[in-house]
Amino acid sequence: MSVLDELVAGAMEDQQTREREVPLDELKAMAAAAPAPIDAKRWFRSTSAVPVIAEIKRASPSKGHLIDIDDPAALAREYERGGASAISVLTEGRRFLGSLADLDAVRTAVSIPVLRKDFITNDYQIWEARAHGADIILLIVAALGDEQLEHLLSLTHELGMTALVETHTREEINRAIAAGARVIGINARNLKNLRVDVNKYSELADDLPEDVIKVAESGVFGAVEVEDYARAGADAVLVGEGVATASDPQLAVERLVKAGKRVKASEETPLSEHHGPYYGQFGGRYVPEALISALDELERVYDDAKKDPQFHKELARLNKQYVGRPSPLTQAPRFAQRLKERTGVDARVFLKREDLNHTGAHKINNAIGQALLVKRMGKTRVIAETGAGQHGVATATVCAMMGLKCRIYMGQIDARRQALNVARMRMLGAEVVEVTLGDRILKDAINEALRDWVTNVETTHYLLGTVAGPHPFPEMVRDFQKVIGEEAKEQLQDWYGIDHPDAICACVGGGSNAIGIMNAFLDDPRVNLYGYEAGGHGPQSGEHAIRFAPGTGQLGMFQGTKSYLLENAEGQTLDTYSISAGLDYASVGPEHAWLKDIGRVNYSWATDDEAMSAFKDMCETEGIIPAIESSHAIAGAYKAALDLKDKGYEHPVMIINISGRGDKDMNTAGKWFGYLTDEQAAALEANGAQGNNA
Amino acid sequence: MSENTTTPSGQPLGISHRPSPCEELFTRFKAANKPAFIGYLPYGFPTPQLSLDAFRTLVENGADIVEIGLPYSDPVMDGPVIQAASQIALNAGESISNVFKAVETVANAGGVPLIMSYWNLIYHYGVERFATDFANAGGAGLITPDLIPDEAGEWIEASDRHGLDRIFLVSPDSTDERLRVVAQNARGFVYAAARMGVTGERATLNASPEKLVARTRAAGAENVCVGIGVSTAEQGHTVGQYADGVIVGSALVHTLLDDSGQAKNADEGLKALAAKAAELAEGIHNARQ
Repeated sequence: MSVLDELVAGAMEDQQTREREVPLDELKAMAAAAPAPIDAKRWFRSTSAVPVIAEIKRASPSKGHLIDIDDPAALAREYERGGASAISVLTEGRRFLGSLADLDAVRTAVSIPVLRKDFITNDYQIWEARAHGADIILLIVAALGDEQLEHLLSLTHELGMTALVETHTREEINRAIAAGARVIGINARNLKNLRVDVNKYSELADDLPEDVIKVAESGVFGAVEVEDYARAGADAVLVGEGVATASDPQLAVERLVKAGKRVKASEETPLSEHHGPYYGQFGGRYVPEALISALDELERVYDDAKKDPQFHKELARLNKQYVGRPSPLTQAPRFAQRLKERTGVDARVFLKREDLNHTGAHKINNAIGQALLVKRMGKTRVIAETGAGQHGVATATVCAMMGLKCRIYMGQIDARRQALNVARMRMLGAEVVEVTLGDRILKDAINEALRDWVTNVETTHYLLGTVAGPHPFPEMVRDFQKVIGEEAKEQLQDWYGIDHPDAICACVGGGSNAIGIMNAFLDDPRVNLYGYEAGGHGPQSGEHAIRFAPGTGQLGMFQGTKSYLLENAEGQTLDTYSISAGLDYASVGPEHAWLKDIGRVNYSWATDDEAMSAFKDMCETEGIIPAIESSHAIAGAYKAALDLKDKGYEHPVMIINISGRGDKDMNTAGKWFGYLTDEQAAALEANGAQGNNA
Repeated sequence: MSENTTTPSGQPLGISHRPSPCEELFTRFKAANKPAFIGYLPYGFPTPQLSLDAFRTLVENGADIVEIGLPYSDPVMDGPVIQAASQIALNAGESISNVFKAVETVANAGGVPLIMSYWNLIYHYGVERFATDFANAGGAGLITPDLIPDEAGEWIEASDRHGLDRIFLVSPDSTDERLRVVAQNARGFVYAAARMGVTGERATLNASPEKLVARTRAAGAENVCVGIGVSTAEQGHTVGQYADGVIVGSALVHTLLDDSGQAKNADEGLKALAAKAAELAEGIHNARQ
C-alpha cells in the first residue's frame, strides 16, 4: 500500500466515523446556513502579484512533526496581515495532525478564502468542507478515477466552491483538464535532488489553456522559489513549512508576496518602460545600508522631477542651448559603400552624432540631468568617477556651469594615459584625485567614489556616469540618455522619410550610450539591436572586457548591482583590458544583462584590431574621427550587416551610434597606424598629452 | 547536493530551530552586565597559516566573538588599513574554501566565529553551499556589509535552514523605517556603524553611536553592537557602557602591519596583537564596573 493509499484509507475511515455522528442531511443544512463561499479563482490570478496560499501545517508524513500550532486562528491572521491571498488548512488528523476544528477557527479569523486540504474522495467530505466554511477544497488526481474526479469537481462547483486539483505528471494534468478542473496545482519537485525544477514546471505548465489557473505546489519555501516559479509561469503558489515554521510568519509571507510582485512588475511592463530596481533577476541595490537613505532620497527627488514640467523644460532648454542638441543623424554613403565591398550587403547607413555634443560625447546628457537633480536635492558637492575622462570632463563642465563643487576620482593608470583630460577637468575647476589603490583603473575609481559617498553622503551627490550601480542609477541614467534614440527615430522619419531602421549598432561598456539609442526601439520587433563589447585581444586571450560571450562573464554582484561580471574562480573581480578605456569595465548595466537573457539585443564584441580598422574606415570615408569606444560599434556594423543578410534583408537601414569623438584618441591612433614618428610620440608624451594607449 | 541539506527521509531541510549562537552569548553577558568584545581580522592575512595563529591569539586574549573577514578585491566599506591587509591576503593565495579552517580554529579556541564578507564572494561560492560548509565548520553567523535585508532573500532562506545568524548593518543616518527593516530581519545582533564612512581608526568618537544604539533598540533589535572607528580601550570602555558588544577591526589589523604597510614578522606581530587584544578586552569587559 502506497503512502497515498494509506492516507486515503485513513481519511475515509475517519469520515465514516464522523458521518455516524453528523449525517449528510444535517451537514447539508449546515452548509446552507454557512456564509456564502468566496469565489477564490479571482484571488488566484493577478497581473500585479503572485498570490500566496499560506498553509497551517503541523506535520507531514515525510518529515514528521514540524511545529506545534496551538492557535491556528492567530497564525492565520498573521498570514493574512502578511498579504496571503488564501489560507490552506490541513484537516487530516492522522499524519498531518490537523482537524475540522482548525478549519472552523481559521474560518472565523480571516476574511480571505480558506482551503480545506484533506484526502477527499467522496461527496460527504465536500459538503463537510462547505458546512465548515471552506471556499476551496483539494482534489488529488492520483487518488481518484476519471469519473470520480469529474463528479467531485462538479459537486464542488455546484456548491460555489473552487477545487485546487493537484497533479504530478503531464498525464494527470490532462486528466484534470478533461474532468473540468479550472485551478491546477502542479508539483514540480525534481525527485533526484529535491530542488524545485523550474524547467520541469515550465514543461508541465507551458501549454495549458489560458483560463486554467496554475498553482505551484510543494517545494515553495522562500522568496527564491517564488521567483523561480513565477518566472516559470505559475499564477499562484502554495507554501507550507516555509511560513508555518518561520519565527515570524507574517514577515515570511510578506517576503514571498514581495518576491512575486517583483517578477510580475517586470513582466507586465513594455520593454522600454522598465523601472528599477529590477530588470528580470538583475539590478537591485547591493550597497552598504549607509547609502540607502541617499539612494531613497535620489529616487524620490527623481520621481518628483519626472512629474514636474518645469524640470523637463529646463532640461530641454539646456540640451538645446548648452549641449547643442539635437545631435544630427548623418547619412554615411561612402562608409556604406565600403560596408558593401566587405560584406556584400547594400545597406543605407546613418550615424547618430553624439560626438558633436558639447564636451564631445553622450556623457553630457546624463551629467546635466543629474546636476539638475543635485540642485533640487539642495546638495552642494558632486563626486564622480572617470575612466577615459569623458564622464569626468562632462561632470566638471556641468559643475562649473551650475556652480557646484566637484571632485573626480580617476585611477592612477587612467590619469597617466589621459593626462590631457586631467588638465581639462582641472581647468574647469574640478579637483582630480588619482586613485592609487587596487588596479588603479576605472573600477578602483568607482570604489573610492563610493567610499567618499558613504562618508559625505549628507552634502554630496555621486554623479555616476553609466547605467550600472545601485537603483535608481540604471533607470535614471537611461532616462537621461534615451533622448539619443528618440531623436534618431524622429530624424530618420523627418529628414530621410524612413519609417524605422532595421538595425541599431552601439558599443557597450557600462552601456549608457547603447541603452540611450536602443530604448526608443525596444518595443519595435522590426528593429534588430546589436551591442558590441570590447574584445581586446579576443575572448580566448584573457585580455578583454567581454562579459556576455560564453565562458566570459558570470552572474554576480559588483559595485551595487547584480549583472554579468568578469570574476575569477574565487569571485574576485578580474582585470579587464581594452584599447578603449571607456569600455574597460568588469561588469555591465543590469538592463543589458536582462536584454541579453531575454534575447532582445544581440551582443557580440569587436577586438582592438577590428575597432582600429573601423576607426580608420570612418575617418577615410566620411571625414569623421570617432572615439575608439564608438569605433567598436562601427566594427560591429560589419558583423551586423552579415547577420541581417542571413536574416534575409537585402537593403537594410542601419544606424550606428557615434557616442563620442576621437580627438582624445589621436596619440593612440597615431602610434597604432604609424603616423607618428617615435620622436613625435615621445614629444607628445613629454607634453603630457598622451592618448589612452594601455 | 550534500546530505546536510536534506533530512534522513530525503526531504529538503526546513527551518532550523537551533538557537542563535550570538543571542545565547548576549543572554549570558547581559546576566553578568558585561558587553562582548568582538574582534575582526581578515582571513589569509598575512598568510593563510599565520592568520590561523592570529585568530587563536585573538580569542586567547579576550575576544568573545571573532569576525573572520573574507578578503575581496573591491572592498567599498573598508578604509586603507583593511584594504592593505586584504590585498596582502589575496596576494598570499587566500581561498574561500579554506576559510572554514579559520572558523574551526576560532570555535576550538572557545570563540564564537562569524564571517564578514562582501556578498559577491558568498554568491559566487553558492549561498546554500556556503551555509552548509559554514554550519558544518561550527560557524555562528555572517556579517554582510553590502547586502541589505531587501536583497537578502536567498541568504535569509539558507540561514534559516542552517540556523545561522544574519548580521546586517545600520548607520547614523538610517531612518526609523530602515532600522525597523534591519531589526526585523537580523538574527543574533545588529551592527551599528559608529559614524558615516568606511572602516578605520579614529582618535575620537562623536555621540552618534549611543543615539543610534537607542534608536535601533527602539526599532526592535534585541542586541546592538557598535563598530567602525572604535580603536582604543578607552573608546571600547565608553561604547561598552551602552552597546551589547564592541567591534574592533582596523586597530587589530594594524598591530600586524609595519609602518610601510607590509606584514610584520610573525612573532612580533602576534605579540603586538595579543597585547592590543588584551588591552581592548579589559577596557570593554569592565565598561560597566
